[in-house]
Amino acid sequence: MRDFNFLADDILVDALLAEIAGLLQIFLDDGVSGSIDLLGLPLSASCLAALEQQLGKGEITAVLTAAGTSEFRETSFPGVWWSSHADETGRIVAMLIEVAAVPEILLAAQEDMRRGHKRLLEATLVNKYRKRA
Amino acid sequence: MTQYAETLGEMLARRGFGRRSLLKFAIVMTSSLALPPGMAPVMAANLAKAKRQSVIWLSFQKCTGCLETLLRSSAPTIDALIFDFISLDYQESLMASAGTAAELTLRQAVAANPGEYLLAIDGSVPLKDGGVYSLTGGRSNVSMLEEFASGAKAILAIGTCAAYGGIPKAHPNPTGAAGVEDVISGKPIVNIPGCPPVPEVLSGVLVYFVSFGRLPDLDDRKRPLAYFGTTIHDQCYRRPFYDQGKFAKSFDDEGARQGWCLFELGCKGPTTHNACASLKWNNGTSFPIESGHGCIGCSEPDFWDQGSFYTSLAGGSATGWRNAGIAAAIGLAGGAAAALSARSKSSVPPEEKI
Repeated sequence: MRDFNFLADDILVDALLAEIAGLLQIFLDDGVSGSIDLLGLPLSASCLAALEQQLGKGEITAVLTAAGTSEFRETSFPGVWWSSHADETGRIVAMLIEVAAVPEILLAAQEDMRRGHKRLLEATLVNKYRKRA
Repeated sequence: MTQYAETLGEMLARRGFGRRSLLKFAIVMTSSLALPPGMAPVMAANLAKAKRQSVIWLSFQKCTGCLETLLRSSAPTIDALIFDFISLDYQESLMASAGTAAELTLRQAVAANPGEYLLAIDGSVPLKDGGVYSLTGGRSNVSMLEEFASGAKAILAIGTCAAYGGIPKAHPNPTGAAGVEDVISGKPIVNIPGCPPVPEVLSGVLVYFVSFGRLPDLDDRKRPLAYFGTTIHDQCYRRPFYDQGKFAKSFDDEGARQGWCLFELGCKGPTTHNACASLKWNNGTSFPIESGHGCIGCSEPDFWDQGSFYTSLAGGSATGWRNAGIAAAIGLAGGAAAALSARSKSSVPPEEKI
């Protein structure tokens, strides 16, 4: 049975690599990002490890701290990201392969930037003196 | 009474949550709901614009286990955000008021959200003798259900009792217990069976409804496909032992100690549709099979009358159930490849599938 498990892992990893290549082609052609929900697939731990090994590690790792910790690691294939999201207890609640220049969640949102801009202005000395007066 | 001018996005921002928190929540929920991951930004955008959803929860003939399990699920996880998305306007076991004050609260909640509130029901509906076997404030459950269902946008039947009658319906069913869908027609109904139901399934259904304004896709028993589309057996980590023909013969033999398949000990996993094996219980700790006991099939209709929990589905003798390992391995790989194709999508949302 061991041999059959290895065979199943190889088949799945190969299918995933082909899927990722397809998503990368779409992004290069049309600029449309894509993703694969790894937790939604019946992948064994050994299969995930094999996929991770095949994809390798790239130059960037980003960490997001929002409702738990999320890690975004670019693989050795530029534009292909391994994203894992943990909740506050550290449990992995989502794991994705994302194909994009940068995962969208890392980009600052306009509305958040507007609120930040407002807070920044309020923090200036001029504004504080104005309020006192 | 319940008019929410503020959107969820505004409320979360006021409480210090940025868009990234909402997007992360949407990523987790799209995964849970088996939606294409590219739908997450759409869900996050819809949630940010949505107003809090009014939920009116009526309890009928039940043990309160469903409510207990849902309350106990509020661990400090991302799922807790769901409580920001709904307004539980009436739940008589949780609310402080009682008697006429509680009845007034119910009337006000209904009047404030005509045709817009979600009606959540736990417990079965006794129909025998005019429904006299379960009353609230002197009114029968069936009378209340008919009245409040008429003004609801959709109905959530929470737990096996509300969905199919559950244990109160067990033979000889002395109260004439029935599920919600046996009483109400012409309204969208989603069944979330389980004794008790998995809390995250309710969270997923609520988030889907708030995000897209309708119930998720359902199977022929009105259960959300994302959570009830496969059997416990299909997702069970002990499935490879089943495929290899390795079965525990008693709860204390070598097979049980090795964690082999519990099929011959009566596990109903092969005929039970639920998400226990993937979502698990107690914040992802385990599920019954992982604790060494077979599935009792509690999310299926009439599960209490299907014979002993300890008689195998093969009738106690499992000699015909041993499968060949080769066929299983090939089947597993083929199934996974099909799932892969279904779960990976472009980030452009297929609107027609919403």
